[in-house]
Amino acid sequence: MKVYQCDQCEYASVSNKYRCPSCGTGKLQERDVSSRGSVYSYTDIHIAPAEFAHLAPYTVALIQLEESKAKVTVRMDGNVQIGDMTELDHVEDGAYIYRKC
Amino acid sequence: MTNVYIEGIGMTKFGKFIDKSMKQLLVEASIEALEDAGNPKVDAVFVGNFMGGSIGNQEILGALVANELGLGYIPTAKVEGACASGGIALRQGIMGILSGEYDTVLIAGVEKMKHASTADVTQAINAAMDNDSNEKQAGLTFPGFFGVLANRYFYETGATKEHLAMIALKNRENALNNSLAQFQKPTTMEEIMAARIITSPLGLFDCSPTTDGAAALVITRKKGAIHIRSSAQSSGPTQMQDADDLLSLPAVRESGRLAYEKAGVGPEDIDVVEIHDCFSMTEMLAIEELGFFNKREGWLAVEQGRTKATGDKPVNTSGGLLSRGHPIGATGVAQMYQLVQQLRGTAPNQVENARLALAQNLGGTGSYSTVHILERL
Repeated sequence: MKVYQCDQCEYASVSNKYRCPSCGTGKLQERDVSSRGSVYSYTDIHIAPAEFAHLAPYTVALIQLEESKAKVTVRMDGNVQIGDMTELDHVEDGAYIYRKC
Repeated sequence: MTNVYIEGIGMTKFGKFIDKSMKQLLVEASIEALEDAGNPKVDAVFVGNFMGGSIGNQEILGALVANELGLGYIPTAKVEGACASGGIALRQGIMGILSGEYDTVLIAGVEKMKHASTADVTQAINAAMDNDSNEKQAGLTFPGFFGVLANRYFYETGATKEHLAMIALKNRENALNNSLAQFQKPTTMEEIMAARIITSPLGLFDCSPTTDGAAALVITRKKGAIHIRSSAQSSGPTQMQDADDLLSLPAVRESGRLAYEKAGVGPEDIDVVEIHDCFSMTEMLAIEELGFFNKREGWLAVEQGRTKATGDKPVNTSGGLLSRGHPIGATGVAQMYQLVQQLRGTAPNQVENARLALAQNLGGTGSYSTVHILERL
């Protein structure tokens, strides 16, 4: 899992930015970290836009990565609760598909 | 402090109007506002609108208004800021008067959504998310964002789905007294709790509807009874995974802070509030972010009835987006319509002797927020 870590402060994100939005001066540096993380929160989506309607109901979760301050939004393979440990299963059309571990 | 005053207000009924065009709705609300203001000369027009192009194939809304009303060859523009389009349009008008360029500006907001299919509307609304992201590809939706927030809020506080239902019920009860509101059918806690799930834990009554409707304001530098004490706007994260604190909407907090600072007042001074309750959960977070209640304690205030029309901090006396309805581009302007009525003493669910009023309008999943503070002179 790629994350972008500020070289001046603790800020980290899974998406890159021109400058650090937290301290305003740092530059973000790409880092590879484990995909493992715990479920910070989630929702089971029953009403979906046309392009995801065939998947509904499906679960989208916000994962707090273990090795970074960054969080990542993923689609879960199955139901989850807050605190469940998860990891990347595969990447599909630009989406991280996670499973419980 | 601004030197801008609201001189006139107008608003159509909110609901489903298949036989009326977007232009007709805009013109109807605008004429009412102009007549209410005594038909002053207008120097500019700003129209808030989000999806007129994508699902209505109609742009040039500013010029349409000027032309239909015979306002002359004045400057006009459409302003887009997702669900905050109306609040940002108002702010553009205020900035135009503050700059000295205009004396009097017509602000209008409109949306026409009911003619389109749910799939088309959902797709169009998704334009207010960052679509070039892994988050969008994961299938996160607009309501889904607030569902994720709600589950975390429940986890960190003592709040439950019932507290969200209390917000939905309060706003429905307020709408029952507002003849312009979309939903005028009474409901119960039981019906709200049992409604079908849209995105857990949010059910049908936790989500604002699609709506047709328009609202308009005439603002001017000529001193009048309703003073815009301050106007503020902020941006926030465009992706959920970039939230520093998931239970915070930084755009709301920051626009509120700026608005209080410019107005020289605090949350304790505000008598009546219109908040952007696109979802019940959004109202919960916004009452905390605007400083009316402590962080993670908004649910206690809701439980105690403090945000009811009869409470000490009345929120959404119009019925809010949940029950007055949410014609996206019109919403920020419709909030002002309700607050001006409150300050004039003619509002549905009138708050006794209201003097200071606050409106907060949100766009995207926390991407934009405007706050305006009004004062009765």
